[in-house]
Amino acid sequence: MKRYLTGIDWVVNALDYISRRKTGVGNTAQVVLELEGIIGEEKLGERLKIISRDYPVMFGYPSRAINLCPYWKVTSSRNTLRLNTDSLNLESDFDSIIRNLSQRLNHPFKDKREHILFNLIHQGKKSFLGMIFDHRLMEARGAEGFLDFVGGNGEFSLEESLYDGPSHLNRWLDKFRAGRKVNRAFLHLTEGRPRVLGLTQGNPKVGCRLINFNKERSSGIFQNAFNEAGYLMLMPYVLSKSIVILNQIFEDKRIPPQDYLIPVSIDTRPNDLVRKEVLFNHLSFFLFRITAQEAGSFKTVLSSVKKQIYAQIKIGLPQAIKEASFLMRIAPLFLVNILLKAMSKGVPASFSFAFIGEGAYASDNFMQIPVKNIFHIPRVPYPPGLGIFFNQYRGNINATFSYADGLLNEKEIEIVKLGINSLA
Amino acid sequence: MTAKMIEKKLIQQLSVILSLPAAKMKSDAPLHKLGVDSLSFVELLVFIEKEFKIKLMESGIAREDFKTIHSLAECINEIAG
Repeated sequence: MKRYLTGIDWVVNALDYISRRKTGVGNTAQVVLELEGIIGEEKLGERLKIISRDYPVMFGYPSRAINLCPYWKVTSSRNTLRLNTDSLNLESDFDSIIRNLSQRLNHPFKDKREHILFNLIHQGKKSFLGMIFDHRLMEARGAEGFLDFVGGNGEFSLEESLYDGPSHLNRWLDKFRAGRKVNRAFLHLTEGRPRVLGLTQGNPKVGCRLINFNKERSSGIFQNAFNEAGYLMLMPYVLSKSIVILNQIFEDKRIPPQDYLIPVSIDTRPNDLVRKEVLFNHLSFFLFRITAQEAGSFKTVLSSVKKQIYAQIKIGLPQAIKEASFLMRIAPLFLVNILLKAMSKGVPASFSFAFIGEGAYASDNFMQIPVKNIFHIPRVPYPPGLGIFFNQYRGNINATFSYADGLLNEKEIEIVKLGINSLA
Repeated sequence: MTAKMIEKKLIQQLSVILSLPAAKMKSDAPLHKLGVDSLSFVELLVFIEKEFKIKLMESGIAREDFKTIHSLAECINEIAG
């Protein structure tokens, strides 16, 4: 069985390579279910054994075919998806549970075949089920879909991700045209080194803070976005607010006022399609450039973000990035790393941002246990080691602020947390 | 072009953007209930600019005009004259 990797898959593999070199751990994230009940460990363990047996693709790894295309090599495997369990006492607050889960992201997988690891934490009559996943195998929405599949939702399918897919060794003219379009756009967007916080030496660990907005406060954010940014402008609104919040930190730290560069990953697939394509990467990117002078004013930032989204969709940049990235597959990962560095003047971004508008977790339970909330704890790419991520579950908005150790002090972390809280 | 024809074109385009059958699109349903988000909305605005030569992001029309496919079609028809 041979599942060829797309260009975007290969870029994600390069990000994993960079993260491994800089921090000792790959490009991973954790999606967490907050459950209103206790999961039977044995029952879950049995389910994981069955999935491991039926879907060896979980234990594949990248390789190169004779036609030089990278592909996901799947061989018979006796591996089983691992499940770590832990119990916390009732006094543990939400922040300490998140700290416990986020610390687990600082450990690499045990070998090249492991890409998923489950963490189950019991606390009284509640439990938290975290799934650490390798971005090379799935993206954030795919991970939600996979968890739903593990929980027994039959709507999801791994089958379409498994068949012998095309190698995409055709339509070269289209790929080169897309490459030209991307080059032109990037030359303009990546002029000069972006504004970044001073990076720490060694293998920094990653920490995070999670901010849950309940239904009432989430409605407040929807209303504020409507009033200040317009109808259906939630993503530009929270991105612009995030830029203004982080700009305050950069200003306080007296970081030289270069322009901010912010890549934003996007997945425009409807949930129906996510259910059929749970595995691998299907996203693309926007790239925003905001001058340090603009970043102090929310109105100016918002106007610039809206104009840039419009302009990038108009020229078809997200589709062109997807198409052009196929040209990178011929290069080995160390070379892709060098190319990406050269394109971005050594630092790919000022900070990362992601917004999952409509989550892919369709059920309201996991193995018959009600799901209270779903949130994401990404291991923020390093560099830049700083990121804000939003997701929604049944009308509740969650925000995760991730940072590499040593970039910010406690006071600065609290300022960002307060800023995000003020969205409601 | 009549408002009805514009409405039909908008439905066809939204069905492509959202990968949903056109028959499922109700012209009087709010766009967010059809599954339109920030990105698909901007995609629709870009289509309107290319198809009808109208820049709705800059035209200063009321938010209510964006709410349904029907109201959007009426608004485009009015501006395009």
